[in-house]
Amino acid sequence: MSTTSDAGAPARFPREIPIQYGTALLVVVLVAAPLLPVLYQSLLDGPLYDRDVRLTLGNFVRLAHTDGFGLVLWNTFVLAALTTVVAQVFGTLAAILFGRTDIPGARVLGELFLWPLYLSALVLSFGWYTIYGPAGYVTLFWQSLFGDAPWNLYSLGGMAAIAGVSQAPLAYLYCLSSAGMTDPTLEEAARVSGAGTFTTLRRITLPLMLPAIAYSAVLNFTIGLELLSVPLIFGEPAGINVLTTFLFNVSATSPRPDHGLAATAAALMLVVICFLVWLQGRLLGNTRRFVTLGGKATRPRPFRLGGLRWPLFVGCVIYVVLTGIAPIAMLVLRAFTSFLSPMIPLADVLTLDNFTSLANEPIYARAVRNSFIVSLVGAAIATALVGLIALIVHRSEFRFRGALHYVALFPRAVPGVVAGIGFFYAFALIPGLGGIRNSIWVLVIAFTMRFIPAGLGAVAPMLLQVSPDLDRAARVQGADWWTTSRRIMAPLMRPALVACYTILFISFFKEYATAIFLFAPGSEVIGTALLQTWVQGEVGVVAALAAIQVIVIAVCVATARAIFGVKLHG
Amino acid sequence: MADLLIEGLVKRFGDVRAVDNLSLHVADGEFVTLLGPSGCGKSTTLAAVAGLDRPDEGRIIVGGKTYFDSARGIWLPPEARGCGLVFQTYALWPHMTVYDNVVFPLTLRKVSGADRKRRVAEVLALVEMEPYADRYPHQLSGGQQQRVALARTLVYQPAILLLDEPLSNLDAKLRDRARAWLAELRTRLGLTTIYVTHDQIEALSLSDRIVVMNAGRIAQVGPPQEIYERPADPFVADFIGTTNFLPARVAEVGAGSAVLELGDGQRVEVAAERPPAQGSRVTLAFRPEQMRAATAGEVSDGQGCVVETRVLSRSYVGGSWQVALDLGGGALRLETATPPAGDTARIWLPRSGGIVFQETAHVAG
Ligand SMILES: Nc1ncnc2c1ncn2[C@@H]1O[C@H](COP(=O)(O)OP(=O)(O)OP(=O)(O)O)[C@@H](O)[C@H]1O
Ligand SMILES: [Mg+2]
Repeated sequence: MSTTSDAGAPARFPREIPIQYGTALLVVVLVAAPLLPVLYQSLLDGPLYDRDVRLTLGNFVRLAHTDGFGLVLWNTFVLAALTTVVAQVFGTLAAILFGRTDIPGARVLGELFLWPLYLSALVLSFGWYTIYGPAGYVTLFWQSLFGDAPWNLYSLGGMAAIAGVSQAPLAYLYCLSSAGMTDPTLEEAARVSGAGTFTTLRRITLPLMLPAIAYSAVLNFTIGLELLSVPLIFGEPAGINVLTTFLFNVSATSPRPDHGLAATAAALMLVVICFLVWLQGRLLGNTRRFVTLGGKATRPRPFRLGGLRWPLFVGCVIYVVLTGIAPIAMLVLRAFTSFLSPMIPLADVLTLDNFTSLANEPIYARAVRNSFIVSLVGAAIATALVGLIALIVHRSEFRFRGALHYVALFPRAVPGVVAGIGFFYAFALIPGLGGIRNSIWVLVIAFTMRFIPAGLGAVAPMLLQVSPDLDRAARVQGADWWTTSRRIMAPLMRPALVACYTILFISFFKEYATAIFLFAPGSEVIGTALLQTWVQGEVGVVAALAAIQVIVIAVCVATARAIFGVKLHG
Repeated sequence: MADLLIEGLVKRFGDVRAVDNLSLHVADGEFVTLLGPSGCGKSTTLAAVAGLDRPDEGRIIVGGKTYFDSARGIWLPPEARGCGLVFQTYALWPHMTVYDNVVFPLTLRKVSGADRKRRVAEVLALVEMEPYADRYPHQLSGGQQQRVALARTLVYQPAILLLDEPLSNLDAKLRDRARAWLAELRTRLGLTTIYVTHDQIEALSLSDRIVVMNAGRIAQVGPPQEIYERPADPFVADFIGTTNFLPARVAEVGAGSAVLELGDGQRVEVAAERPPAQGSRVTLAFRPEQMRAATAGEVSDGQGCVVETRVLSRSYVGGSWQVALDLGGGALRLETATPPAGDTARIWLPRSGGIVFQETAHVAG
């Protein structure tokens, strides 16, 4: 070979500097945008966009003296606690039954059990309303047979049942991935030493699951506190207020907003959730740093249920049908009928009228279209951002990568309602944003901020599996960080990015809590339209919109699983 | 091509000094091997030269270009250095074919299309991988992957070539072949090369000089023969294949020789250029092939000494026997065609060839 060495790549401006600092700055702005205005507003005696406002602590005093605020806090706590109990009990039982026993159809049952996770609690609420509501299918059926139905969705218990069912999959997934589930040798040792099935379950499996139960309990409690849809639909009419509905009623969404009060309550909520998220981190750190969601594909020798096998199977089927399949099926059926009742034959009421009115009413058609644009385009933008963050955090020498990681994960501690209120202030505050303030891009920005952690959760584990030698090799050969990222890392990350895009698409598509504070005429999405039409009492249109959401998500989940084998929880 | 100068290199991981004040000069075209046990800092040194890790102190200069200088705050990112590094894992990009893998560095250097094709073909021919250009890495055997990794590095004619245990992922047979092939290639190319291994045969057969490392420091630097025949301390001796260490005390000192008393009172006379002080404790080291079973009636003479040993065990290793012996508290291993019959064996130790170490360092391993 010749002796002239062209080894040294020509010296050039380090491109990674602007890219890395730019990304970091973007993330910081994105995360700070809703938070700072909320904190600022909570200290002002008037709306923050007014000219003469003064700093004050009066809002805190006013909030403390607001009539019934104590009750609001109490309700919030009770609802979250009950929700957690319901979710943990069902989730843990399901994990043991579907994960460790010889119950028939465990795989299918497990899949069905997960479904509420993919849908929004909002849609599930409508589903429950259609069958367990005052004029619900099952309720009417029950009344015709036994008299008054013993349940009431318009109560803390009823709400906790819905929320609990919709959050049970989280408990299920975490328990499934706990040591008690994934390390069969531990319980085999117990069985060899003479412990029976139920002794082993009680003494070995369950205790080993405790860390997972504790972690998912805190997670579910947090989500229970942030929950808006269920209390809005069932709590409001019954006069049961929680923190989120309180916020909804005093913030910009109400005819007479009290910004000081709203921001103060939001700040309060932020502090509590921050603490809980911190607690989650501690619990996770104490047990195992990374919980692999989804469990193991191979199930070690399952427990024999013996004579209880079929009764338990029937019980599980009833649970899955009553809590998930029936409500959703009925909701979809309701979309194709004018009225649904056990007294009237189905053939008499079948119609496409709901969809026709949906198509003819510009607002609804626009909502569906906007939802698609926000989800398709927004998720793509967010995925690109998440991919970039993951690369900088895990695969660069960026000086502030640790801080960037922290900031990027911070939105976990920002409830949807708080993010909504915060972005509303942010866009009101910053001049020159008039153009996008009333467009769907506001939603894209807010949703992106909300779901960065979810996206990172999908990308980071897979990225960490890519050997660092692969990008180091490119660097040594003369590729700078950005070229390495584009030419080597991006293709290797493709499966992770597909998973990330799917998760973000679904999340964007069903999001409503943030949107409800931000949408304007023209920028409605399905989530906000659902709540609007619900308030107007147009149950048929609600059902039709919900049906669209359910079907799109179902198709999306099924395709992602079939084509890419993507795991969608995490 | 260029020479490499490392001065006072220090790399800490927390409290661990993975590389501890290492200085080394590698001449233009020289092939130097870093040899040492696992965790002694070989990869860390290599990573410092390639720019994958930023060291804490020291200087690295290649062909007059300063890669790193802690005093002047200079640190070049890896892409600005122009080193060639072959990873232990090969690190072939799984989403690219062999051709794409090899052409990548040329694309980065904006080499023109025709030139690019020619150079890739050339280098693939050099590593005898031309027919595999369209395959993906996972369709290649370990040895083939290693060649592609090497081709990908050679194609841009790096200033220096860094190889991190390139043969350790191959099975024993393939490894022998790959070693011979590498030795041939090395004489043909004459690149300045740093080669990392913990296999002494690779080190001895390939290198111009060997650097034996221990716990982040250099234990000895020298040509293979010198390292092998005159290890600087018991650690190097042990690492380079000397297995027999006998504790002893210096009983008498003569001109160019010394009489050592072993643990059980037997005495042996050995040649020593600079004999240690009388009465001091020393360690006498022999390689297995330097000793043999004494013939019947053989006695100590000017060539060597005959000593009595206790037989601990014997095992047949195919063609010969390996016998474990105890000599005054020191363990000896002897290779012999006929195993000793009884509980004791008389063996012959040469007068010169053994090495006397002052009893300061302890023997690792
Ligand atoms: N990233 C790191 N963080 C902490 N310690 C490290 C790191 N990399 C290496 N070390 C430590 O530095 C020391 C030297 O490691 P190095 O990889 O250089 O060893 P090596 O000589 O290449 O060993 P081997 O032959 O096993 O590859 C070891 O003690 C190792 O534990
Ligand atoms: Mg190494």
